[in-house]
Amino acid sequence: MTSRNPAIATDILDLFAARGCTPAEVAVLQPADPFLDMAGEDLRRRIFLTESETGETLCLRPEFTIPVCLDHIASQAGTPRRYSYLGEVFRQRREGGNEFFQAGIEDLGDADTARADARSVADAHALLATALPGRTLSVVLGDQGVFEAVLAALGLPRGWRMRLARAFGSAELLEAALADLANPPRANALPAAVASLVAAGDAEALAADIAARMETAGLSAAAGRTPSEIARRLLEKAELRSVRLSREAFDALKAFLAIRVPLSQATATLDGFARSAGLALDGALAAFAARAAAITAEGLDAEAIHYDAAFGRPLDYYTGLVFEIGTADAQRPLAGGGRYDRLLTLLGAKKPIPGVGFSVWLDRVDALREVRP
Amino acid sequence: MSVTLALPSKGRLKEQALEVLAKAGLVVALPQDDRTYRARTSIDGADVDVAFLSASEIAGELGQGKIDLGVTGEDLVRETVPHWDTRLRIEARLGFGQADVVVAVPEAWLDVDTMADLDDVAADFRHRHGRRLRIATKYWRLTQQFFSQMHGIQVYRIVESLGATEGAPAAGSADIVVDITTTGSTLRANHLKILADGVILKSQACLVSSLKERPAADAALITAISRRLAAAIA
Repeated sequence: MTSRNPAIATDILDLFAARGCTPAEVAVLQPADPFLDMAGEDLRRRIFLTESETGETLCLRPEFTIPVCLDHIASQAGTPRRYSYLGEVFRQRREGGNEFFQAGIEDLGDADTARADARSVADAHALLATALPGRTLSVVLGDQGVFEAVLAALGLPRGWRMRLARAFGSAELLEAALADLANPPRANALPAAVASLVAAGDAEALAADIAARMETAGLSAAAGRTPSEIARRLLEKAELRSVRLSREAFDALKAFLAIRVPLSQATATLDGFARSAGLALDGALAAFAARAAAITAEGLDAEAIHYDAAFGRPLDYYTGLVFEIGTADAQRPLAGGGRYDRLLTLLGAKKPIPGVGFSVWLDRVDALREVRP
Repeated sequence: MSVTLALPSKGRLKEQALEVLAKAGLVVALPQDDRTYRARTSIDGADVDVAFLSASEIAGELGQGKIDLGVTGEDLVRETVPHWDTRLRIEARLGFGQADVVVAVPEAWLDVDTMADLDDVAADFRHRHGRRLRIATKYWRLTQQFFSQMHGIQVYRIVESLGATEGAPAAGSADIVVDITTTGSTLRANHLKILADGVILKSQACLVSSLKERPAADAALITAISRRLAAAIA
C-alpha cells in the first residue's frame, strides 16, 4: 500500500480482513474493451484511454468490479470467494479530481443469494459506519427481479417486458416507454409485397425477401442480423401493434412503481400489492422476503432502510438487488452496489457464477470527514 | 491586441465563407500565394487577422481559446469540443454548409424504423451474435450523447471510421452508421435508410466565438463582426 492512501485506509483494510476477504491485486492499466462492452459506450468520454504499441486499446482502471471478475475467471479460483479492494480509480469528471479512491467487496459464487445480498449491504454499511462514526446512514434498495416479475405477471408480451426492464431505474425512460405502450407510435409503411407477407404471417417467405434485399445491398447474412431474425421481429412487431396495455395493467404498474416503504414493511406491502392487483409474484416475492429477513439478521435497522420499487442503477448488468447508502448531508450516494448474476458469463466464465458487490466513493467520504456531523 | 478570425482553408466552405464576409463588408485581401494561410481584413478601421485552417481544426482551436472567431460546422463544434457551450458561442448560423448528422441502418432491416426499434435490437444483439451492435462513425461524441443520454441505449460499440462510413455495413466492419448527409443520396446508394427519429443534428456553417477573457476593445470588435454577419444573412 502506498502512502497516498487516505487516512481511513488502515481501518478499512482491517475491516476487510476481519470479514474474511481476499485482497484483490488489480493492475492500473486494463484492456478497455470489457468496460466499454459491459458498462456501455457512455463510459468512453469518462475514462482515460490509451493504446499499446500493438494497437490494443487500454485504459486506466475506471472501477474494480470488472477487473476483479476477469481475474477471478482467469485464475480459475474456486468459489465462493470474497474479494476486497482499495485503490485509485481514474475518471474524467467535471467536478472533483480525476483520480480518486474506491473501496469495496465483490462476493462471487455464493449460492445463498439472500445471505450474500444481506452481507453485501451490511459490509458496505459497516465500512461507512467505521469511516463516518456518529453519522446516520440511510440505505435505499431496489430489486430488478421483483420489477421483472411484475411485468411478467401482468402478461406483457416479451418485447414490452424487455423494453420496460431496460428502462428500470430511470424515471424519464420509464415514462417514455409507458407512453409508447399506452399509445404505440405509428409504424412506417412497408413495401406492399412485404406488407402482405406480414399480414399472412409467412415467416419463411419474408426471410427470403429480406435475404434478397441483403444480397442486393452486399450485406453478409452471417456477419450480423440474419434474414430470419429480421423476419421474426417484423412479425412480432405487427402482433404487438394490435395489443394495448389495459387500463388495469397500467394502473397496477403505476401503483407498483410508487411503492416506497421502510424495509420492515416492504414484504407485507408487496404481498398486499400482488393480492390486490391479482398478480402471482411467488418466486420473486419469496426471494425478496428471504433477503429482507437476512438483512435484519445482519443486525441492520430495518427502519433506516427503504425499499423503493422504482429504484434501479443505470448499469446493464444488475439482475436483482440494487442499493445505495448515503447520509442526510451528502448530496450524492457514498456507496452503491448490487447483484450481477449475468456479468461473469458475459465476461467469459464457462459456468454461471452469481455475484454481488458494492463500492464506496472514498473521496466523498473524505469530504464528509472534514466537516462535523 | 488583435482578433483572429479562422476560415475554412479550401473548397465550397471557403468560397461561401468569403462571400458572406464580403456581403457583410469584410473583404478579405487574399494572399497572392495560394500556399500562404494568413490574410487580413478590417472592420470600422480595425484590422482583423485571418487564418485559413481545416474546419475541424477551427473547432478545436476555438475550444482551446487559441483563436477568437471562426467559421466552421455546428457538427464539428459539438463533436470536437467537450462541453462546448461553456467555451464557445454560436454567434450566427450562416445559411450554407447545411448537412444532417443521422442514424442510418440497412434498408433490409424492415423491422427497424425508430430509435426504440434500435434499442430492442441492440439489447438482444450480444445474446444472438456474441458481440455488441457496432456503429461506424466519425462522430463518437454526438453518437454517444444521442444513444446513451437521449435514448438510454447503452449496449453498443462505436467503430471509429475516418472515411467512407456509409460503406461499413457492406464491408462487415459495422452494423449501422452515424454519418453526415446533405441529400441522403449516398446513404440510399449504399442501401441505408435514415430512422424516422434518427436526425441527431441539423448542422450548418456557423460563426463561432471563443468565450475567453479578452480586452474590451477585442470583445467589442467580435460583437461588431458578429452583428454585421448576422445582419448580412438576415
